[in-house]
Amino acid sequence: MAKLTIDDQEYEFPDGTSLFEACREARGEALPHFCYHPDLPVAGVCRLCQVEVEGMPKLTIACNTTVRDGMVVHTRSEKVNKAVQQILELHLINHPVDCPICDQAGECGLQNQYMQYGLYESKVEIQAKVKKHKAKVIGPYVILDMERCVLCSRCVRFCNEVTGTGELGIFNRGDRAEVDVAPGVELDNNYSMNTVDICPVGALTSRDFRFAKRVWMLKSAQGVCPGCATGCNVRIDHEAGRIYRLKPRYNPEVNGRWMCDRGRMTYKQVHSERRLLTPLDGGKDVTWAAAREQLARMLEGKPPALAVVSPHASLEEMFLAVKLAGAEATVSGPANLDREDGDDLLLDADRTPNRRGLATLGIPELQSGALADRLRAASGPVLVLGGDPARDEAVAGAMEGREGLIFVGDHDGPTAQAAQLVLPAAVWAEKAGVFVNRMGRWQGFQQAVARPGAVRDGWRILAEMLSLTGAAPAFESLRAVRRGLTAKVLPEGELDMDRMPEFGFMPAGGER
Amino acid sequence: MSFEGLPRGSAAKKQSFLERTYFPEIIRGLVVTMRHLVKNILHTSEMPTMQYPEEKRVYGERFRGRHRLMQREDGSPRCVACQMCSTACPADCITIEAAEHPDPEIEKYPASFQIDLLRCVYCGLCEEACPCDAIRMDTGIYEIAADSRSSFVVDKDFLLNNTTEGTL
Repeated sequence: MAKLTIDDQEYEFPDGTSLFEACREARGEALPHFCYHPDLPVAGVCRLCQVEVEGMPKLTIACNTTVRDGMVVHTRSEKVNKAVQQILELHLINHPVDCPICDQAGECGLQNQYMQYGLYESKVEIQAKVKKHKAKVIGPYVILDMERCVLCSRCVRFCNEVTGTGELGIFNRGDRAEVDVAPGVELDNNYSMNTVDICPVGALTSRDFRFAKRVWMLKSAQGVCPGCATGCNVRIDHEAGRIYRLKPRYNPEVNGRWMCDRGRMTYKQVHSERRLLTPLDGGKDVTWAAAREQLARMLEGKPPALAVVSPHASLEEMFLAVKLAGAEATVSGPANLDREDGDDLLLDADRTPNRRGLATLGIPELQSGALADRLRAASGPVLVLGGDPARDEAVAGAMEGREGLIFVGDHDGPTAQAAQLVLPAAVWAEKAGVFVNRMGRWQGFQQAVARPGAVRDGWRILAEMLSLTGAAPAFESLRAVRRGLTAKVLPEGELDMDRMPEFGFMPAGGER
Repeated sequence: MSFEGLPRGSAAKKQSFLERTYFPEIIRGLVVTMRHLVKNILHTSEMPTMQYPEEKRVYGERFRGRHRLMQREDGSPRCVACQMCSTACPADCITIEAAEHPDPEIEKYPASFQIDLLRCVYCGLCEEACPCDAIRMDTGIYEIAADSRSSFVVDKDFLLNNTTEGTL
């Protein structure tokens, strides 16, 4: 342990702690910086995080210094402030200050730090600034504006150290230095948009989000990426019922500060034209009242003969499906669907968010042939919850012409076409729920946007089906569903699902 | 606090017979009216009433009228769709959709620019916020009328050409 004084207060940190992190903790806010990033190796190129250490002849950069016993550090002295201001001026010398057309405006390191530390008059005329290429497309998702770059090298380090693909480099020297892709190379790895996140200025911006919205107009909700079984924690940025982007949300146990490009694009399915927006009875739009009557006629007061639950459903919905059909008559499948290639960073081969949730509730996963047999053998109405199992040929064959198929789902497809009654349910961003990721970690997500059309929350649809079968107890709130769920699978008092821990909940003996 | 010593309300005051007939007060009121009538007939030029719309009041140069969008030399909008105006707008009446401009020098331009004139409170914060001097309220136009709500939502072409067509 090292005892040191930061801004006249004594602190104690373990040996080897970076002085930058020590100062962040002591001050309650980070030192001004561009190049330092906790998940990347130290570069020490931006020179902004300089602090005064007593006994040292000059200011020193905090990011490349480790704490030492007896250190006396000043981070707010006049000398430090002046240095920060002058270095910031250097960073801004050739900056085009085109904030009005820059997507980073509002979450920009230059803007924020200029307002906090700079506030100097520029000594360089606009005509005298060094011109570089603007708006250069360097990959399928990323666009580069070299004039805005401050050469912090975060993006280069990311591609070298995290993905190991090394597409980016810094070319030339002095004020001609540029970040660029090597000739003939594209920034085309599945994690390329993380460079947009870590770029402290507007040099690297997202092509998908380009000019879509000013960032200060966005509202955020906490979500979990539905793209694969990893379940990266995301921030859903939305406005007026529309999602504009997904950003990774820090979770040291799951995704750290990163997420993959595929995951970032999953928000598009929320606004897809294939969304089911009204109940369909025999392919015709009907009202919920009419759909409810039809549902009552089909169920005849009895539970469905079989429930086919998709690993895309939330844990709460899965629980209600088991409640409705009974443990013997609840299955999932076909097990071969939604499996593609994964990688060894974040992307999992299993492209469903909640397959582990099936195991948590003891729902067996059947292969396509076995599921088709169960569908043929079931006499009476069949509930299909979420996903689109009829994408599998054998299952589609078993569903074809079958009467009494009730589909509670979100997107049109072979299953919705085969179903007699379609009830439109909310997708992940339109409801609250829990996914269990591949490690067995329970992760809660919030509702971000309003449900479109006549779409209803999945648990409400299932709770209503339950009440049609006369089952007790009736579930009147999501809270009640969650209480029933935790009582079934967890020891009492272990988890309150309405207050999920920040980084998710890992049941005892969860990891596999 | 005490109310003692304060005059009581009129209900408590006993009115005389004349007061109860109201006649003296009516006559006093008519005298005021007649005095103004005679004065105005004798000195019509000093009358505060204007013969609108034949005659119109002259406003100061800084009067904020209906907005206009400034043009570049080639006639395209000067606006770069930064949305500072819609951010500053307290009435939330400006809706801008940005798009990629074919000219890489310009980069960003408004694909659509709408102002809901019924919502606008003519505060002028939009022109103050604009970094490009692209929106101005110097037209002096304040006669804004139409027969449907939708025609008060004016678009980019209308604002660029700054005409009185459409609404009036």
